Amino acid sequence: MGSLFSLPVFFIILRETTEAAIIVSVLLAFVKQVIVDDAALLRRLKWHIWIGVLIGLVISLIIGGTFIGLWKSLAKNVFQSSEEIWEGTFALIACIMITVMSLAMLKSQELQEKWRGKLGEAMQNANEKRSVRNLSAKYALLILPMITVLREGLEAMIFVGGVSISCRFLSFNLVQADEWFFFALIGFVIYRGGSRLALHRFFIASTCLLLLIAAGLFAKAINAYEMDKWGKIVGGDADDAGSYDPRGNVWALNYGDPNQPENGGWAFFNSILGWMHVASVGTITGYCVYWLVVILTIVFMKIKGNRARAAASQHTYANEKAVEKTEI
Amino acid sequence: MLIPPVKTLALLGLATAVANAAVVTYNWNITYVNTNPDGLMDRRVIGINGQFPPPAINVTLHDTLVINVMNQISEPTTLHAHGLFQTANNQMDGPSMVTQCPIPPGANFTYTIPIEQYGTYWIHGHNKGHYVDGLRAPLIIHNPAETYHYDEEYTLAFADWYHDEHSVLLDEYLSIFNPTGAEPVPKSALINQMLNTQFSFAPGKVYRLRIINMSALAMFHIHIDGHDMDIIEVDGVDVQRTTVKTFPISAAQRYSVLVTAKNTTTHNFLIHGDMDPEMFDTVPGTLQMNITGKIIYDAASPLAPEELIDWGEFDDAALLTPVVPMATTPADSQISLTASFQVMDDYINKATFNDITYVAPKVPTLYTAISMGNLSSDPQVYGTYAHPLVLKHNSWVEIIINNNDAGNHPFHLHGHLFQIVGRGDGVYDGSTPYTYFNTSNPLRRDTVLVPSLTNVAIRFQANNPGVWLFHCHIEWHLQAGLATTIIEAPEAMSGVLTVDRTHLEHCTDLGLPYSGNAAGNQGLDLTGQNVGPNLLPGKFTPKGIVALFFTVLSAVVGLATVIWYAQDDELVPSEEGKETK
Repeated sequence: MGSLFSLPVFFIILRETTEAAIIVSVLLAFVKQVIVDDAALLRRLKWHIWIGVLIGLVISLIIGGTFIGLWKSLAKNVFQSSEEIWEGTFALIACIMITVMSLAMLKSQELQEKWRGKLGEAMQNANEKRSVRNLSAKYALLILPMITVLREGLEAMIFVGGVSISCRFLSFNLVQADEWFFFALIGFVIYRGGSRLALHRFFIASTCLLLLIAAGLFAKAINAYEMDKWGKIVGGDADDAGSYDPRGNVWALNYGDPNQPENGGWAFFNSILGWMHVASVGTITGYCVYWLVVILTIVFMKIKGNRARAAASQHTYANEKAVEKTEI
Repeated sequence: MLIPPVKTLALLGLATAVANAAVVTYNWNITYVNTNPDGLMDRRVIGINGQFPPPAINVTLHDTLVINVMNQISEPTTLHAHGLFQTANNQMDGPSMVTQCPIPPGANFTYTIPIEQYGTYWIHGHNKGHYVDGLRAPLIIHNPAETYHYDEEYTLAFADWYHDEHSVLLDEYLSIFNPTGAEPVPKSALINQMLNTQFSFAPGKVYRLRIINMSALAMFHIHIDGHDMDIIEVDGVDVQRTTVKTFPISAAQRYSVLVTAKNTTTHNFLIHGDMDPEMFDTVPGTLQMNITGKIIYDAASPLAPEELIDWGEFDDAALLTPVVPMATTPADSQISLTASFQVMDDYINKATFNDITYVAPKVPTLYTAISMGNLSSDPQVYGTYAHPLVLKHNSWVEIIINNNDAGNHPFHLHGHLFQIVGRGDGVYDGSTPYTYFNTSNPLRRDTVLVPSLTNVAIRFQANNPGVWLFHCHIEWHLQAGLATTIIEAPEAMSGVLTVDRTHLEHCTDLGLPYSGNAAGNQGLDLTGQNVGPNLLPGKFTPKGIVALFFTVLSAVVGLATVIWYAQDDELVPSEEGKETK
C-alpha cells in the first residue's frame, strides 16, 4: 500500500462492504427459501444475484474512481495554491456530502428492513401467479443487488473523498482492487459470524463517527474563510506566522497545533473532531449550529417516519379488510 | 551641496571664544518646516529656527555646551546628545520620562552639557519619533591635540528617510494588523538630510571623514570608489589605524576614517552609502537603496566608474583596537537580557527584554530616584514595566545581550562607553562559563550591533550616578518596548545631581507628577502605575472553557439523537443471532 493508513477511511469502506455483503447474502437466502422445487430456476436466480453484484461493483468503481480522481486532483491544486478560501469551500462541500449521506443511510436502515418485507411479498406474488416470466419479478433479483451494490459503492467513494479532505490526505491513493476483495471478505465474515444486532450497532456507531467528522469539517471551513479574510487584511502568509484575528478569538493555545509535524495526536483529533488550537466565535458557533441542524433534521425524520408508518398500517389494515371481504 | 572643510569653520568658531573652557551657546527654536529633502515628496519635517536640515553642533573638548531650546512644535519634545557621558549631569541627558518630562509646546529648556570627551557624536530628539522626522544633527567635538594628523575634515551623516510622519507610520507599525511586526520600509536615503552632497579633495592631502548613521532603521555599507579608508575612530574612541575597503555602520553608530587623496585630479569619485536590505520587510522595485556623495578633485573632471564591492563580514570588536588601552576588570555582577518579539495580550507585536516590554512610568525615573530617599535602591519603586536594573556605585557590571530575534539590533547605553568583551552564538543560558575574547584591550563603544540569534557581552563601571536608558536604537523597536532603565548608584545621586525647578514645572504643565514612585505615589504603593501588555497566556481562559463546553455538549446531544433515532423497535433487529444460512 502506498498510502497513509486512515482509520476513518478504513471504517467507511468496511461498513459499505459489510452492508453489501449482507444484502447479497440475504437475497441468496431468500431465493433458497422460496424456490424449493425448481433447481434450474434456483441456479439461474442465484446467477442473477451475482451478476447484479458484479455489474453494480464495476459501475460504482468507474463512477467512484472518476469522482475520486477528479476530487484528488482538484484538492491537490487547492493545497498547492494554499488558497484558504478553496480549502474552506472543499471542506464545506465534504461536510454537506457526508451529513446528507449519513442521515440518508440512517433513514435507509429503516428502508432496508422494509425491502426485505417487500422482497418477500414480490416472491410470494411471483409464486402465486405461477408466472416467473413476469419480467420485473424475473429480473428483480438482478436489478436489486446491482442497485444496492452500486449505491453502497458510490457512498463509500464519496465518504472517502469527503473524509480525506478532513484528513488532509495529500497523497492518498484509490484503494486497490485486492483491498476491496479483502474488505468484502471481512464484511462477509462479520455478517456470518456476528449477530444482526451487533451489526446494527456497528452501523449506528459509524454514522456517529461520520457526523463528528462532518461537524469538524464545518468548523474547519469557517476557520479557513476567517483565515483567508485575516490574511488579506494583514498581507502575506498570516497562517504560516501562526497569526489569527484577535477580534472574536475565543481560545489560542501554545500547544495542540495539529499542523505541527510532531503533534500526531492533535492531528488525529483534528481529522476526527475538527480540533484546532485557535478557535473563534465563528468556528465555535458554526460547530454548535451544525449539530443543532442535524438534531432538528433527525427529529423531523423521526416524526415524518412515524406519520408514514401510521398511514401505512391504516392502509394495510384497510387492505386486509378488503381482502377479507373479497374472500368472504 | 558643497560642504566647506570643517577645520576652517572650527577655527573661526574658536577665534571668538576663550582658548580653554569656552561656553558655546546655541539657540534652538524647534520648529516645523515644509520641505522636500529627497526630491520625491513634500512633507512636514522638524527643523531648527525654521531651517532644515538642522545645523551641526561644533564644540571643543573642555567647552561647556549650552543649548537654549524653545519648543515651537505641537508636541512635547526633548534633545539627547548621543554618546556624551553627562557625568554628574544625568538630568540633561534627554530621554523623555527617563531623565526629564518632555518640554511642553511653547516652553523653554536649557541643556547645559560639560564637554569631557572628543570625537564624532550626534544630537537628536528623544521623545516619540521626532528624530525620524528630522530633529537630528551631527555633534562634533574637536580635540586641540588630535591623535591623528589630517589636513581637513568633512562630516557625512547618513540616514534613511520616510515620506509619512513618524506618528502615522507608528500607528501602522504598532497595530493588531501587523502581527509579524514588520517595520515600515524607508522611501529613500540621504546624506546630511539632503541630496547632492559633494566635497572637494586636493591632491596628496589627507582627509578625515566623520561618518554618522542617524537612521531610524537602516544599516549602511560605506565605500569610496577608488579609495581605501583607514578607520581611526569608533563612537568617540580613537582606534589603531585600520585599513578597510568597506564597512557597515548601524543606526546611531559613528566612525571616522582617514582617506588619502590621489595625486592626480583626472577623475572625481563617489562615496557610497548602500542600505542593507536584510531588515526591510519588502524592497519595492522603486526604492533607491543607495545614496552617493561626490568627491571633487576638479569640477571639470569626469566621474570615475563605480566599483562593485563585496560587503563581506565585519566584526568591529575583532578588527579594531583602542589607541588608549583599557584592560578588562572582572565583573561584580552579570545581567542577562534576552531580546525577543511577539504578539502580546493587547494583540500587538511588541519587543521584550526577558519577557517585559518597556512602558514609561508616570514620573520620570530620575525624579523617582531622587525623591524616594532610602527606597531608591528598591527596584519596585520604578515600576515593573520600566524594567529597572539597579547598580551599585562603582561596581563593574557585565550585561550579556541575547538577541533571540530574527532581526539584527544595535543596542545603545546612555551615559557610558562599554567594553565589548565577548560574542557568542544563540542565547547564553549560563550553564557553562562564558567564553570571553582573549584580549587585554577590548574595543569600547556606545552602540553595538548584536546580529540575529547571537549574543554579546559588554562591560562598564557604574561610576556615573544617574538613570541611563539601555535600548535598541532602531526607533521602531524602542517604541515597541525594547528598552530597560539602568538605575546607577541611586544612593549617590542626591549628592551629585541637582534638578532645576523649571524642569519640574514642565511635568506639572503636562499634568504629570514630578516625584514619588512610578505611579506618583509614596512608598511601595504602585496602584495606578502605567502597565504594559503581557505575554499571551496560551492556555484556556474562562471564555475558552465555556466555548469548549458548548461544543462538547452539542456533539454529545447530537450523537444521542442519532442513537435515539435508531432505537426504534421496527429498526432494531431481534436478538435471534444468525437467521439464515
